[in-house]
Amino acid sequence: MWAYFKFEFIQFISNRKNIAIYVILLFFWCYYALIIAPVYNPIEKVDESEIEARYLTRAEFLDNVVLTDGSHALTRFAAAIYPEWNDYDKARLDAIEHGKMEDYAEATAKWYAYADQMIFKSGRGVLFYNPGYYTYGNNYATMDGHYAYSYSASRFEGYAEAKSDLSINVFEERTALQTLQRLLDSYLPIILMISCILFTVDIVLKDRRNPTLVQGLPISDWRKMLVKGGVSLLGCILTIIPLSVGLLIIGSQNGFGDFALPVPIYSAGENLFTNVMMGEYLIQNMLFTIFWFLFIISLLLLVSVMMKNEFVNLLAGCVFIFAEFIYFKRGMGAFGNVQWYPTNYVQVGQVISGYRNYLYATESLTLGNGLTVMGLCTSIFLLITFLISNRRKFRLL
Amino acid sequence: MRKMLKTFFILEKSNKRNIFTCIFVGVFVLGLVLFVKTEDLGNATKENSSEYQSLSSALIKFQNVDATENGNGSELYRNLVLQRRLVSTQNMALIMDLPEIYLNSSIELASLRADAFELDGYDDVAIYLPSKIENQFKLVFLQHVKKTGMSLSVDSLSYFPFLAYLFGVLGSVWFVFMSLYSCGIMMEDFRHTSLIKGYPVTFNKYVIAKCISSMLIVGVILLELFVCSLPLIYFNGTGNSSYPIAIFDGIVQVYPIVKYLAVAIVYMICISIFTILLSVILNVLLKNMYLTLFVELLLYIFPVLFPSMISLFPLNPFNYLNFTDVYNGQTLDLPNPVALNGMQGLIYIGLSIVIMGIAVKYFLSTGKLQKFRGVS
Repeated sequence: MWAYFKFEFIQFISNRKNIAIYVILLFFWCYYALIIAPVYNPIEKVDESEIEARYLTRAEFLDNVVLTDGSHALTRFAAAIYPEWNDYDKARLDAIEHGKMEDYAEATAKWYAYADQMIFKSGRGVLFYNPGYYTYGNNYATMDGHYAYSYSASRFEGYAEAKSDLSINVFEERTALQTLQRLLDSYLPIILMISCILFTVDIVLKDRRNPTLVQGLPISDWRKMLVKGGVSLLGCILTIIPLSVGLLIIGSQNGFGDFALPVPIYSAGENLFTNVMMGEYLIQNMLFTIFWFLFIISLLLLVSVMMKNEFVNLLAGCVFIFAEFIYFKRGMGAFGNVQWYPTNYVQVGQVISGYRNYLYATESLTLGNGLTVMGLCTSIFLLITFLISNRRKFRLL
Repeated sequence: MRKMLKTFFILEKSNKRNIFTCIFVGVFVLGLVLFVKTEDLGNATKENSSEYQSLSSALIKFQNVDATENGNGSELYRNLVLQRRLVSTQNMALIMDLPEIYLNSSIELASLRADAFELDGYDDVAIYLPSKIENQFKLVFLQHVKKTGMSLSVDSLSYFPFLAYLFGVLGSVWFVFMSLYSCGIMMEDFRHTSLIKGYPVTFNKYVIAKCISSMLIVGVILLELFVCSLPLIYFNGTGNSSYPIAIFDGIVQVYPIVKYLAVAIVYMICISIFTILLSVILNVLLKNMYLTLFVELLLYIFPVLFPSMISLFPLNPFNYLNFTDVYNGQTLDLPNPVALNGMQGLIYIGLSIVIMGIAVKYFLSTGKLQKFRGVS
């Protein structure tokens, strides 16, 4: 079996299609690191002039306001909430001026928590989040702002505990590891899964070109398929290499960050966010992504033995990855058991950070549920493949 | 030749790739029908509320002051307040079912927005408002509606508007779809070389027959688009087939839906022929269907990754393969705007088809099919 593994792996690695995939991935990550990452413009920036403008306007208001019985309710509201808010802004300004990163993180955490409380609970329709969220056509701007402010509050609280070196790049999530975290939250999982599909799509059917050669091997069809699955899993895991080249480039520009940085995880409870360490977050992501690889590989093995057509393999894989775009609607988790659909877990990073739960308005899209569902589906696919391959009439090619 | 075609039909008919492509396209269109149905796309009341919200967010940037003519607000502020008032008027007109007021206020809103682009400080609020070209589209469209006196559609998409929407969606991805479909066009035959070695035809004729049979499948798929959209007639009715659509071809102007559909279909057919020929050439050169696919997709996204290339190589047919973007004037919003003309695009694609045809005839066909015997 080991010899067959080596035999398959050498074929895999010298396949021109697979080499092309690695080269294209390398190209994309370099493009990302050199052209897209430097112009990343987060909404929650460390922007001294913005803080100062807000602070001065409010300070002036507080200095001049005279509250009488005839004062407007909103004036009273403003006079009541601005003093504390301004204290935090003042602390932030001082910290920037003296270059004290921990003080800045602490004040900023409090600022976000207070601002979110004021805007979301008391100030509906009067106070607003950072205007960056209210783009043209976005009907959920308030919800986006609420998420981002609570997220930032939790994040800066984590920084204030000072387990790692702080810098402006860390605050703006520009370091290599944080970029990886942001990528996991957006389209990295989909890219990895498409690569996985492309690696696996011909792993069984390529033998059709030289059937006589392979049929002579003293190994059963089922075992052959297991080995092929293993080879393609190994190939998928190797996609880390081009990715890490891109991360090295980003790291050399903006710093690498470290594994103790906090990553806020959303859960619909009393405290919206709890922090986990970057290292833990990445390991969870890796685990989940490997489960996805296993899912896709077993699916494609099944389709390969059933349909025996590469194009059908490609379509079947893509359907599972892109199905969510068709039916997804914000808040739909309140109306059904969304945790049973494997397609809901495609956005690996978002599932683990809880953002998917927030979008679906549910609590059930968790890592545990995800692993269970993906594991179950994988076992079912493998079982069917096993049954098919053990039929007497079965022929692999 | 006829016998050749007949053979290919029998092969194509039972090819799993074709069967699954047809099923996939059907499911996609039906899915889109359901999506339009559940999302209530095209419903003016819904779109109106999001406009109001965007304007309110833009106004957060300003202090609340007197917005009348002799007030002390800036001109942009006055403009935005007026815009918000007009959106409210639109909403009222929708609720009270007063189409004329709705139309007039829409035109007024669009022209106000057109003025706003020139005002000081517009860049600060630009993200809350439609882009210049989008607004121009709307203005031209509304003026046309007013001039011809037809009634403005405020309900969700019916059959013909849906077709326009569908072809718009497909226009962006048609090349990708076609390259997925055709990337292995020759490979399956190359695998059974002993079979095709026996064909008593030259390579040219073989390629032509292959293209014709593939194009027939494409025709079936195009027909399928119309058929699978039919459920929408039951949900939302047929709609007006001469309802105007604003498009950009050198200038912003309106096409009736039927004309737009015709242009889209011509484009799709040209892109299909283009892709199939490209796949044939790359198949022969690279001898691998995935490499063919990757090269095609890279060529396609190259102008997207490096937008400055578009003006550098204006003749590049790949600039035009996303014809939805071309007709929506998307390239005018780039940092260095280029005006791509849809009709010119068709000519360039046609030229490339001719060039590739010549290449197939003179460079790939030296010798006969036997030459490709060794291909795996």
